[in-house]
Amino acid sequence: MAAWDTYIQKDFSALTEDEEWVAVIRDLAPGRGKYRSTHARIRVSKDPKKYPETLWVRLGRGQLIETPCSMQILEYVDVFPKGM
Amino acid sequence: MAYTYYKDNRAYIEALLKTGDCVVVNDEVDWDLEMGAIVRRMCERKSPAAHFKKVKDYPGFEAFGAPIATWRRLAICFGLPPDASIPDIQREYLKRTSGPPIAPRIIDRKNAPCKEIVWTGDDANLLNLPAPMVHDGDGGRYICTWHFVVAKDYDTDFVNWGMYRQMLFDEKTMVGPVLPFSDMGKMLYNKYAPRNLPMPFATVISPDPLSAIASSAPSPIAEAEFTGQLMGEGVELVKCETSDLYVPAHAEIIVEGVILPNLTIEEAPFGEYTGYRTSPRDKRTVYRVKAITMRKNAIMAVSNMGVPTDEGQLLRSFSMALEMERMLRDQGLPISGVYMLPESTHHLVVVGVKPIYANVATQISQLVFGSKFGAWFHMVLVVDDKTDIYNKDAIIHALCTRCHPVTGIRVTQHGFGTPLNPFCSPEERRFSRTPKVVFDCLFPPEWPTSDLPIPVSFNSVYPKDMQERVLEKWRTYGFKD
Repeated sequence: MAAWDTYIQKDFSALTEDEEWVAVIRDLAPGRGKYRSTHARIRVSKDPKKYPETLWVRLGRGQLIETPCSMQILEYVDVFPKGM
Repeated sequence: MAYTYYKDNRAYIEALLKTGDCVVVNDEVDWDLEMGAIVRRMCERKSPAAHFKKVKDYPGFEAFGAPIATWRRLAICFGLPPDASIPDIQREYLKRTSGPPIAPRIIDRKNAPCKEIVWTGDDANLLNLPAPMVHDGDGGRYICTWHFVVAKDYDTDFVNWGMYRQMLFDEKTMVGPVLPFSDMGKMLYNKYAPRNLPMPFATVISPDPLSAIASSAPSPIAEAEFTGQLMGEGVELVKCETSDLYVPAHAEIIVEGVILPNLTIEEAPFGEYTGYRTSPRDKRTVYRVKAITMRKNAIMAVSNMGVPTDEGQLLRSFSMALEMERMLRDQGLPISGVYMLPESTHHLVVVGVKPIYANVATQISQLVFGSKFGAWFHMVLVVDDKTDIYNKDAIIHALCTRCHPVTGIRVTQHGFGTPLNPFCSPEERRFSRTPKVVFDCLFPPEWPTSDLPIPVSFNSVYPKDMQERVLEKWRTYGFKD
């Protein structure tokens, strides 16, 4: 399982589960690309085994939720205007 | 005539090494938190700076931690002895910046060290720079912590150098806050964004010390010319690869590109100058990268903001106080000095004044709070011209004995602030509202002289000849200090 993290602007109890939403996720694989961010359409579950990727969740000021979630990446989303 | 200065961080590091104000770290350090943790501890202990010779994953790059986080290092930047007093450093700064602005010198790119390596197109990849993960929990790698962003006004020749934090988002993207009242914010939100035009920028990472000081100073003079004043000759600039912006030729790394006018993406949180993570993750200004140029064996400068004292706190306190002093003197106020405590994370300014008329403390506070730099602090403490404004003990004594709890503390509810004040409510932060307060530590001049409390100190209640006698014989009495 690849590991990622994301930040949410609400309490962990209000995390949207099993519905598609676009988030900024960060790649946690070691090396020069660690913490590279990308926009992606994802599904998340608090069940760490439900989806293929591991997703760690942080709150708005960086507080880490100690147990990981799982995530399915449905597609990467390019938000930048073409040519920019 | 040129003053003593260091045209790049390499010469500055050499100077620091000679005085014991820099440590060379030969062990490999990890850009992922380890370097940040070292620099954070250095700031909290007021340790020497650090020259990191090996950075994990990034052979060929070096790093420089906490470049100017102590008064000693600031003194060295000006060619002063490292133990120069704060007033001595202030006098040097005021001396250098009292003359006319000095225009920069444009040099050919073949003589510009920052052009030794040029990456364009797909090669201009931010992930190939040793951007540190500064604090655990930060929203990303803060590639720019000791740097400034160069931007030019759309329809005038005004060029701004300002320290706007930038987080690495992906290979081609940085993101960071640009507050609307900042110089670059006025350009972006008033000129470029309404026209939906990308705004060219150049980020200067690891600039020479005086350029860095100029970029963090709230002077009304354009920073390039202000740097010339500090140097006593024009700073050497070179043209960018992708725009008509100019950057210091001896800087270590230059990142060029455009700011997108009407797109924001998520940035932060980040350990901020207040010593907290206050501002939340939020959508902020997007920088897209077109080119990266650098010196061979480029040295990434790393500042680590947090609890005092880091260079942002030190330099902003230093330069804001002196610009305030200049402004108050220009208004004809009998100021004896202005000092902003770096330990207050530049939130508390102490003003010494000859109390020649009533309510002078209120006048001072209204002037400084209403100034260009008024957003960055919320406490003004006004003492008389006999109080040593650099002595924390003297300041606390004045506050606790001369400031009337009812009439001496005056609060303004809806002041002009920033979103970063930890004590403000979430709503106040959102709208940059900050209550302001003045602590008037002056005995009212209308009190009869016979009713004035008399300070009881060595300097005030003994005849001059007795003071001199005691000082002369101090060591013979057996005291070692």
